[in-house]
Amino acid sequence: MTKLAINHVNKTYADGTEALRDIRVHANEGEIVAILGGSGCGKTTLLRLVAGLDRPSSGAILVGGEPIEGTHKTISAVFQEPRLLPWLRVAANIEFGGQLLDTTERQRRAAALLERIGLAGYGGRWPRDLSGGQQQRVAIARALIGHPGVLLLDEPFSALDPFTRASLHQLVLGLWAELKPTILMVTHDVDEAVTLADRIVIMRPKPGRVHETMAVDLPRPRDRLASPFDLMKRRVMRSIDRSLAEDLPTSPKPLGPGGTSPWL
Amino acid sequence: MKPLAARPWLTGLIIPVVLGVTWELTVRTGVMTGRLMPPPSRLLDSAITLARSGELGLHVAATMTRIGLGFLFGAAAGTLMGVLTGASGLAMRLLDPSIQALRAIPSLAWVPLFILWLGIFETSKLALIAMGVFFPVYLGVLSAIQNVDRKLIEVGRVFGLSTTGIAIRITGPAVMPAWFAALRTGLGLGFMFVVAAELMGASEGLGYMLLDGQQMGRADTILVAMIVFALLGKACDSILVAISVPLLRWQDTVRARL
Repeated sequence: MTKLAINHVNKTYADGTEALRDIRVHANEGEIVAILGGSGCGKTTLLRLVAGLDRPSSGAILVGGEPIEGTHKTISAVFQEPRLLPWLRVAANIEFGGQLLDTTERQRRAAALLERIGLAGYGGRWPRDLSGGQQQRVAIARALIGHPGVLLLDEPFSALDPFTRASLHQLVLGLWAELKPTILMVTHDVDEAVTLADRIVIMRPKPGRVHETMAVDLPRPRDRLASPFDLMKRRVMRSIDRSLAEDLPTSPKPLGPGGTSPWL
Repeated sequence: MKPLAARPWLTGLIIPVVLGVTWELTVRTGVMTGRLMPPPSRLLDSAITLARSGELGLHVAATMTRIGLGFLFGAAAGTLMGVLTGASGLAMRLLDPSIQALRAIPSLAWVPLFILWLGIFETSKLALIAMGVFFPVYLGVLSAIQNVDRKLIEVGRVFGLSTTGIAIRITGPAVMPAWFAALRTGLGLGFMFVVAAELMGASEGLGYMLLDGQQMGRADTILVAMIVFALLGKACDSILVAISVPLLRWQDTVRARL
């Protein structure tokens, strides 16, 4: 059943820049959908629209069949940077994500999540005392404490080293298996998309459009060293190559006087 | 005894102590009379005499009352206006140009007008001090609100905070360090303007003591008043810092780690 539907969404900024054109993406209940694309293809813009931090110029975004206007209580997010509130201790930062919970439940879940993310005993520390990877774990816990129906991930692993990134992939997959939120994630990393996603939406820029959607039919847990995994990655990369080829100008303009290139 | 390196603050005392002892010896041996620059022992005598007679206490109380009230009014007005213009674009466009225009007038230029409007007694003095405190506090609060990290505001929005909730739980704490910094600047200016206010005509206060010392040719009275000013200013600043420390413990600064 469709949990999240992005229907014919366009976004043009006030200065006339067309960021997104006719985006159609949907995510089923409990599905992980990865939006894959290079920088400037509008993938973060798309995520901001779904988060309700920005409004589409036209088109609609539906959650559980209901169109969303602005931020929504069932949609939660992890950003590229941890964005912890520096004046709140770690436990309070996690609790911040559970605005709708009553105090006892909020504290209970925060304590359980702290343990779950491997930071039991860190609840009383300040965010500044944590490493980047630990901060991002806290941000993930904060996003999940309210048991959101839809979790948005805006390249939350891109600033981390490969070791930390892999361990955070496992953390997110573990928590996803427990809580089963629908996840819409944005990434530029093919490996990451194939590791995590059920479906991959490849975007291309100027303006941001959907190039191709591919299903990732690999059983979980996924073996990144097995050949089906590599095969899938190769398919995705081939699609990216095709999207780049289509972006090349079909009829190049004359470069010099007389229509010849000055180098020829 | 620990070496000097273990107590860095002792290093700072070397110059004043050496100067003081040298001057004391110069006057004691009769090389100089010390009439215009009394040696430390004579300053201490004068301070004790002034304190015993109750005169010093009277002046300190008068000055501190003015500072206290002037700072309170100026800081409150500066904070309120800063929050108002920081929170509302309309208020910003409406009020900020006028406030900036008033700020361009050197504050002491208001003295004649204040005296004309408010008389030569307390009200005009308080107005001057409050004005001195107002501008740095206003500017500090306004720029702090304008500089709150948009990304943290977005966190508040994503997790369902209302506009009021964001103001209280995100903008408020984010602005706190700059607010305290602005209050400290304001307090410093408050001390500057209390001297100006008391020099322009007062019958009590440390500023009056300065003027009195000048007219009576008593350099020791002037110096005692100056030293008391320095001590009070430092003490008031320390009180502000002490209040701010538990509120700003989260900051990743050197001071927080001391």
